[in-house]
Amino acid sequence: MAQLSLRGIKKRFRDTAVLHGIDLEIGDREFVVFVGPSGCGKSTLLRLIAGLDPITEGEFVLNGTRMNDVAPSRRGIAMVFQSYALYPHMDVYENMAFGARLMGLDKAEVERRIAEAAQMLKLDALLKRRPRELSGGQRQRVAIGRALVRKPDVFLLDEPLSNLDAALRSEVRLEIAKLHREIGGTMIYVTHDQVEAMTLADKIVVMNSGRIEQVGSPRELYETPANVFVAGFIGSPRMTLVDVTRDGNRLGIANGGSVVMSALPQVPALKLGLRPDSVRLVRDADAEGLRAVVEYTEYLGDNAFVYARLADGTLLSARTTPNDLFAPDEAVTVQVDPASTHFFSAEDGRRLVLGGAG
Amino acid sequence: MPKLRMTGRGLWITALIVPPLAFVALFVVYPIISAFAYAFFDWQGLKRGAFVGLDNFHTVLFVEPYRSWTLNAFKNNIIVFFALMVLQNGLGFILAYALWRELPGARFHRIAVFLPVVLSTIIVAYLFKLFYHPLFGVVNITLRNVGLGWMAQPWLGQSGTALWSIIAAQAWHMVGFPTLVFLAGMQRIPGEILDAVRMETESEWVKISKIVWPLVAPSATIVFTLLFVGAFNWFELPYIMGGLDGSPFGSTDVLGLYFYRTAFGNVSAGQQDFGLGSALAVLIFLFIAVIASVITVRLRAREIQI
Repeated sequence: MAQLSLRGIKKRFRDTAVLHGIDLEIGDREFVVFVGPSGCGKSTLLRLIAGLDPITEGEFVLNGTRMNDVAPSRRGIAMVFQSYALYPHMDVYENMAFGARLMGLDKAEVERRIAEAAQMLKLDALLKRRPRELSGGQRQRVAIGRALVRKPDVFLLDEPLSNLDAALRSEVRLEIAKLHREIGGTMIYVTHDQVEAMTLADKIVVMNSGRIEQVGSPRELYETPANVFVAGFIGSPRMTLVDVTRDGNRLGIANGGSVVMSALPQVPALKLGLRPDSVRLVRDADAEGLRAVVEYTEYLGDNAFVYARLADGTLLSARTTPNDLFAPDEAVTVQVDPASTHFFSAEDGRRLVLGGAG
Repeated sequence: MPKLRMTGRGLWITALIVPPLAFVALFVVYPIISAFAYAFFDWQGLKRGAFVGLDNFHTVLFVEPYRSWTLNAFKNNIIVFFALMVLQNGLGFILAYALWRELPGARFHRIAVFLPVVLSTIIVAYLFKLFYHPLFGVVNITLRNVGLGWMAQPWLGQSGTALWSIIAAQAWHMVGFPTLVFLAGMQRIPGEILDAVRMETESEWVKISKIVWPLVAPSATIVFTLLFVGAFNWFELPYIMGGLDGSPFGSTDVLGLYFYRTAFGNVSAGQQDFGLGSALAVLIFLFIAVIASVITVRLRAREIQI
């Protein structure tokens, strides 16, 4: 059982404010991913939850108990570090046994738990090896095993895949997802990679410069991003954000054509958010739509992405089929699917809802 | 063309290596070898007499009064070694740990701890001689002023306290060295490993004994070996503070002083014997070389790649 509440969490290092008031509820067995660009405070927040750094202001409550002043080792939380942080002078078995023994478990129980973890993580054959005799993926599994053996209420994972090569990364990502299903603990996972966030999370927390931008399921974040930051961060390639001026139901960009929408939020100026698959490129220069010039094409086998420069200078990404490739410098017209278009306020970047008060 | 360049390179290497090699040969290797040779001869002053085989070694080890002098000096060296192991290296480790944890004022203390190391031994020796002065020394004055006057005593003037007083001065002088080496070793430990330990225990003792200590083993090897060599070569501080005779009553006599006195004579004894002195020097050298190698090899095996 684990129920975490973060209430108005602030963190300052001397005079530098890093977190500006974080409110977040995390439920039992949830897989929560903190995602955001580097420096957004996601790792700091994780370290506050772990207890490795003190909370400046606000409250962290775990299962009804205030944890602010509880030592890291007494919070029932285990952490997997980016560099794995295995003890170099202990073999794999000792690395896992160290924390378990310190919990006061008897020898038989420690052995039983290690055997269990080793089997789950396929570490049986490696128990007598030292960390430096292991590959990156193996070290990663030992680090996870060390956390598992303690049977914590909450697992914290700080960018656990960032030291692995690309092939191994997707493999270990699947293993972590499987592990979460099997052991069912609450997991909090920090990454700057939105693909990891989308594939693993029950709930994604998007952070930016010390604040939470949005909390929601991967689908919610993708389909209804709360603001331009989330819109630009989630999804690959990024959503194109274009400043447009409004004339009735017609939205135009500076000397670059226009598109007509059936319904629009009631504001004079707004930003248009276009996912790569909600636009269509046509070669007819006189067609209705936004004018653009192709810069380059990424061919990915099953589909292709075309990057085109709009007349106002914005780089737009569009998905096309592999059979429909565009050459650099080709003039194209961008047609927009009104149903899958996102609207944001030009002033504060918030999402605008159709038919709402705006 | 390539051949010529090889020659030029060879010349370069020769030019760089030969001078220091010659220097070391002349001033290090030659004296050691000649000391070995001297030890097998009888000497009248600077005049070499007959070859006497192992007689000199036999005399310093088994013939009175040399036997007692040798044993006394050796015993004192052992006391010095173990005392400094605790006072200098032990304290050094604790200081390093405190400095490493960045307690308030760490920056100032880092300098303060290391500063005495830079001082010349002569200065430290005279400074502490003044500190220990029975009447005007800061040690006794302080004791009297805080009401502990009964503890004030002639620190360097009685057998019971003299050696320990000099050891204390030595520890104060050099404690910065092991501190610095240990601190450097600790700073090599990655921060995430310490975070990982903190997630598993809050006990400082477990952190130090199970994680920090094993991981600074390379520093320990260096510090232990150097302390061993230093303790058995100890000379300047007891020479200045206790005198060439290791006074009072030989209580501060160590192998270095004893060898010097035997080989070159002194004011009170007036006699000198190169043969016996060289035999002592050879024995000291062999003892240090063998034990230091064993320490190094043993401790090396414990070292861990971080």
